[in-house]
Amino acid sequence: MKAGLSTSVIFHAAVLGVGLISLGAPKPLDAGATESLPVSVISSEELAQMVQGDKTAALSEKPAPKPTTKPDVKPDAQNIGDNDNDLSTPPTPEPSPREVKQAAAQPESEPTPEPTPVPAPEPAPKVEPTPKPEPTPATETKVEPTPKQEVKPEPTPEQKTAEVTPDALKLPDSAPSPAMKPKPTPPAEAQTAKAPDKKEAEKPAEKKTAQKSDAKEKSLEDEVAMLLDKQKASGGGAKRSSDQASLGGKKTTGAKLSQGEMDALRSQLSGCWSIPAGAEGVEGLRVSVSFSLDSSGKLDGRPQITASSGDTTFDQSAVRAVQKCDNAGFTLPMDKADTWSQVVVNFDPSEMF
Amino acid sequence: METLHLAEPGASVSVWALFWQAGLIVKLVMIGLLAASVWTWAIIIDKVISYNRMRAALNRFEQVFWSGQSLEQLYQSLNEKKTAGMGSIFVAAMREWKKSFEKGAKSPLALQTRIDKAMDLALTREMEGLEGRLGFLATVGSAAPFIGLFGTVVGIMTSFQAIAGAQSTNLAVVAPGIAEALLATAIGLLAAIPAVIAYNKLSADVSKIGTRMEGFADEFSAILSRQIDEKVVTRMAA
Repeated sequence: MKAGLSTSVIFHAAVLGVGLISLGAPKPLDAGATESLPVSVISSEELAQMVQGDKTAALSEKPAPKPTTKPDVKPDAQNIGDNDNDLSTPPTPEPSPREVKQAAAQPESEPTPEPTPVPAPEPAPKVEPTPKPEPTPATETKVEPTPKQEVKPEPTPEQKTAEVTPDALKLPDSAPSPAMKPKPTPPAEAQTAKAPDKKEAEKPAEKKTAQKSDAKEKSLEDEVAMLLDKQKASGGGAKRSSDQASLGGKKTTGAKLSQGEMDALRSQLSGCWSIPAGAEGVEGLRVSVSFSLDSSGKLDGRPQITASSGDTTFDQSAVRAVQKCDNAGFTLPMDKADTWSQVVVNFDPSEMF
Repeated sequence: METLHLAEPGASVSVWALFWQAGLIVKLVMIGLLAASVWTWAIIIDKVISYNRMRAALNRFEQVFWSGQSLEQLYQSLNEKKTAGMGSIFVAAMREWKKSFEKGAKSPLALQTRIDKAMDLALTREMEGLEGRLGFLATVGSAAPFIGLFGTVVGIMTSFQAIAGAQSTNLAVVAPGIAEALLATAIGLLAAIPAVIAYNKLSADVSKIGTRMEGFADEFSAILSRQIDEKVVTRMAA
């Protein structure tokens, strides 16, 4: 037993000793130098600005949208009028619209001259305002007959001014005209007086019947209006930039082809490519072909060799590969047409397969 | 919770370093398993040597026994030296024969029974010597993996606790703790595999030697039985 035990101890000691010496730390796994991809985190706002840029602009550090022009700031208008530009001189009135108005007013005003005596006594009992209404109907009545006689033959504004002057002459006769304020109220009264039965009879009736429904509709409309977004859908923005436009496209799909999309294109081209057999040193050759594609993804023009390999058959094989793939149709993301309108492909036998 | 030492990333991961970095329980398990392995190999070496000796002794004895030498002479030569295996069975039987026969035993049947008993006893003693400590090999073979696994579980538990404390799941931080825990299972398997193989081999050897000795005992019993018949019957007749 002693022999066995001592042998065993010696054996274990030897194995452990050899193990400790030879079985050091195992060689660390060669994970390979992983290619680090530069990734920059940008906000959605930055992205939006980036893709709003100009396609042909140079790449700049700071993304900026297209420069916009500021609208001219107009000074506040000093003169009353409908003119676009503020002018101190009065605008020349356009004759035609006024004619129509007056012509339309004639039939309405025709019955008025007869009731004119009626309104006159009515305002009289109302004490003070009596002189004011009087002139207005008077003017109306007096103006109206004049168009009857004169408007049809000559509707020029000169005549109007000529006519106005007699009116102005008449005005002081009728009343001292205490300013313009009371004016609006009497005409309303005069009108109601002119057609008291029609409007007053209709209005209350309508109001009473429609009041309830109106109220409901109004409240509903109000609610709908409250819920509606009153902001304009577009065109209301005022974001401006005076910076130079940065590189970008119109669409927000990203400015470049993704790695997967590029791989897909590369594998498609490598499938179409048949390397000339029997050529010596094909592995070392390398040709760069550039070609442009139209918006439908078809070849636009002939592919150009931008960097020749020195071997014409090899170069032509690359050109043929592009043409062959074009016949089959390139698989490209249609929404990124901006990015693949011009493609440069390096044909390298060691990389393409 | 006590702060647990966690191997720093990039720490030495050699076997020796792993052993020293391990926790107390894992260390004890590893030391125990190592001791078991040492003892297992001691037994294996011892048994292999003793079985070879036994086989050589059996062969030598059989050669002498079947050489035509008289049993009396053989007994005289063997009685003086230390015997093993068949020799001791032969000596035990012959001693009983001599004691009983020379004193003039009356019953041949009782004499036969006594001789068989003596031979059985000698055989059992021999087998005991041969089979001794083989049980340890069986135990190590079955229990060592579990003991190693226990060490691993404890070690991984400890390292996970340490990871929770470190608040980092970097593989470089996690790996050394798990590697040192797995070392316990490795040592357990290292002890168990030779033990199992050796146990199977040695027990087969023991049973072979046992059947060989039993066969000799039966044969010798038959020879003695014939002798008893001849001698007792002649003595009775005389």
